[in-house]
Amino acid sequence: MATADPRLSKATEPFDIVATYNDLLRSDPDLTMPIAAIEALVLLLTHSPSSTISETLDLLEKSTTHLKKSIPNPIGLSAGTDLFQRYLITTLQRPGQLGPAGDFNAIRAHLLSNSRLFIRRAKESRDKIATFGRGFVRDGSTVLTNGGSRVVASLLQRAADEKGGPSAVRFNVIYVLSPPKRNVENTTAEPEGLETVRALRAKGVPVATIPESAVAYSLGKADVVIVGAEGVVENGGIVSRMGTYQIGLLAKAMGKPFYVVAESHKFVRVYPLGQYDLPIEQHVIDFKTQEDVDTAKQQQPANASSTPLNDSEFHPDAVDFTPPHLISALITDSGVLTPSAVSEELIKIWF
Amino acid sequence: MTNTSDPALNPVSSAPATPKSPSQAPQKKMEQSQSQPQPKGQKPPKPTKPAKQQPPKDKNASTPADAAGGDKLSPAELKKQAKAEKAARRARERADREQAGGSAPAGGQGPNTPAGKRGSDAAGGAPVGSSKGQKTATRRGSAQAAPQGGAAAELKKKQEDKNVAVFGHLYGQQRRNTVAGAGKEVHPAVLALGLQLRDYVICGSSARCVATLLAFKRVIEAYTTPIGTSLARHLTTHLSHQITYLSTCRPLSISQGNAIRALKLFISSIDPSVPEAQAKTSLCEFIDTFISEKITVADQVIAGSAAQKIKDGDVIVTFAGSSIVKQTLLTAFRQGKKFRVSIIDSRPLFEGKNLARTLASAGLEVQYSLINGISHAIKDATKVFLGAHAMTSNGRLYSRVGTALVAMSAKERAGGVEVPVIVCCETVKFTDRVALDSIVVNEIADADELVITQEPHQLTDLPDPAATSQPAPKKGGKPAASNPSVSETTTPKNNGSPLKDWRDTPNLQLLNIMYDVTPAEYVDMVVTEMGSLPPSAVPIVHRMSTNT
Repeated sequence: MATADPRLSKATEPFDIVATYNDLLRSDPDLTMPIAAIEALVLLLTHSPSSTISETLDLLEKSTTHLKKSIPNPIGLSAGTDLFQRYLITTLQRPGQLGPAGDFNAIRAHLLSNSRLFIRRAKESRDKIATFGRGFVRDGSTVLTNGGSRVVASLLQRAADEKGGPSAVRFNVIYVLSPPKRNVENTTAEPEGLETVRALRAKGVPVATIPESAVAYSLGKADVVIVGAEGVVENGGIVSRMGTYQIGLLAKAMGKPFYVVAESHKFVRVYPLGQYDLPIEQHVIDFKTQEDVDTAKQQQPANASSTPLNDSEFHPDAVDFTPPHLISALITDSGVLTPSAVSEELIKIWF
Repeated sequence: MTNTSDPALNPVSSAPATPKSPSQAPQKKMEQSQSQPQPKGQKPPKPTKPAKQQPPKDKNASTPADAAGGDKLSPAELKKQAKAEKAARRARERADREQAGGSAPAGGQGPNTPAGKRGSDAAGGAPVGSSKGQKTATRRGSAQAAPQGGAAAELKKKQEDKNVAVFGHLYGQQRRNTVAGAGKEVHPAVLALGLQLRDYVICGSSARCVATLLAFKRVIEAYTTPIGTSLARHLTTHLSHQITYLSTCRPLSISQGNAIRALKLFISSIDPSVPEAQAKTSLCEFIDTFISEKITVADQVIAGSAAQKIKDGDVIVTFAGSSIVKQTLLTAFRQGKKFRVSIIDSRPLFEGKNLARTLASAGLEVQYSLINGISHAIKDATKVFLGAHAMTSNGRLYSRVGTALVAMSAKERAGGVEVPVIVCCETVKFTDRVALDSIVVNEIADADELVITQEPHQLTDLPDPAATSQPAPKKGGKPAASNPSVSETTTPKNNGSPLKDWRDTPNLQLLNIMYDVTPAEYVDMVVTEMGSLPPSAVPIVHRMSTNT
């Protein structure tokens, strides 16, 4: 891989996939990681002058690995890239005019137009999920949720919109807010999810915000837990922002239903056996003695002055794995699934 | 659960290439059992009677009786006898079942009289049969030799039911001891395979499947369609004879069943207009692709993806001797991963011994213990890898008895979080059957396997050390004093296991069950050639792999 990198960077010099991916994510707050990855790959294909199928696939492969390597947590992203690659291969293998025998330019044009369609459908899936999941928010119930999931937000807002309608739903929300991403540029960032809280409150939904440490305390007042996910893995478990696993454990212990809301393009071909079997490197648990802390401080005295403790103790992008037995159901755009049905869906996509 | 790394070679190997050199006793026993159907066929109820009346002197008593019978019958026309052969075989099977393992009265037949008739009788199978006699000289053959002679005769007297009641439905037909009585349609390669299966020479789900397919390939090669029928129609029935024979040697495994089903489906899809030679070639090709696709290549894929789950510093626990787990561990080792292997084994097959030896000689760090020590072995385990006999449609693992215990120990150790249980299984082992417990569907092996054990070499209380060590300190001591102890200790040793006479011991039943069912909750992941799945996805993959 290391030998391939220089060539790769030369090849993609006019088009930087990583930058495109990051730009896409930043420009559209509604965009999820897999979709951003797919969109970046489509843009790559439009920019690149590849003329054969194998060249296209090769380019795709290289850019994907490059992208995966440059992003600290490529689980969600890889769901998108895998899906896109799979889609391309099946399209190319299909017999007929667009198959291997056909004119490559036609194939390419077809691919690109279809890829756009693919992206649009993926974006629409959030609405679909909201329709499916609306019934899980019952009248008079209290929902506990966490994180900044856009699907959860759209689901709750959809439920709130119905207020006054034929199925008037009055519900409360307990929103678990985790400390904000605080980096050097903006030290006054607000916690993820606060925007959703404001939107819900504007719609007249009573929202209580609690810190992560108060989940066990508050769970007694909640009727249902609804969380988002970064990726849904093969055994039906989810990879999600740090803290979801403990909510799942607590919900199980208290007998509260634990629902996961996720688009089906987040299904990813990973099979973690536990927290420490994720295909990413996380240094959440970092043992240090005072000596280590002191040496670390000495090494970077300039930066240390800002917030040394927060840097080491809080990992904003860290994720954990919630095993399938803690999940009551997954609300996806292909329906409400049990965790064991996820592998069926994945097998359908892959074979 | 496989021992044979290259099962492909075994079934077709010629008869003299037996794994163990035949010993004298089993050969003799073989002769006896071969001649056994003859007198019984003539007079089915007869052999049981003399045994009942004079149990202690069975051999002496039955010999004259049978000899007399032989004398009486030898003048009878051979034609009539041939006619009665089929009914006789049926009667013999019934008698065998009643005896429940003891082929007792076979002990003393007049060796001369039936011999001539046997020649005419077993015409087709005779040359194979004689070579097959040596094959039984394996563990099981020698195991049976001892109790059959005396003990089984007394069994007749007591007629106590030695079948464990709960598993009563599993006993069924006594396993075949000989190739005699096999239909003339049965191909020699299949005859050989049957006995190899019976003796666990070919053991393990995939090995049995491959061996069966290879034997069937030879059957197909030797097959010619009789006039008036088509290959697609007749070959299926021809194969059915082979299959029936195999299943009397040992119940067919799920993988065998699946392979046979696929083969039959392919046969029935052959166009009748296709010339026979061409059809046979395509059938052989089908078998070859089936073996490579479903087992050989599948194993490589599984080993590759399962090896990814092995991390540096892991302690891998495995049970018995699965070939696919062996391949996985060796693959991971070749990738330079540093891990330890702890093999849990169990009586009576000791399949883990071969695995332990192979892994250790490959350079892995191996710890070997029996299932009794599971709680210690599981203590420092980080992952459990299991082989499979079959995966049922409710996600349960049907595997060598003891597997469920290992899986449970791993899951119950620390709340089930820390020790993932990984099953490596080809999709050819998936079945649409559902297993709720291990009682309804299971296999019962000969209980005598539990009885016979190799006496360990003891340093204490045994004649040799007593004789050598005692005179050493006291030169002129009391050698006489040691002698009685010698005679005391030698008697049990010569007798073998205290359970040796279990058939005569009232209120004693022995159960040698082969498989158990591991609940799906104890399995975290099933690694197949189609990817890693949760156990709940087994029926979906099974449906997909059989439909396409």
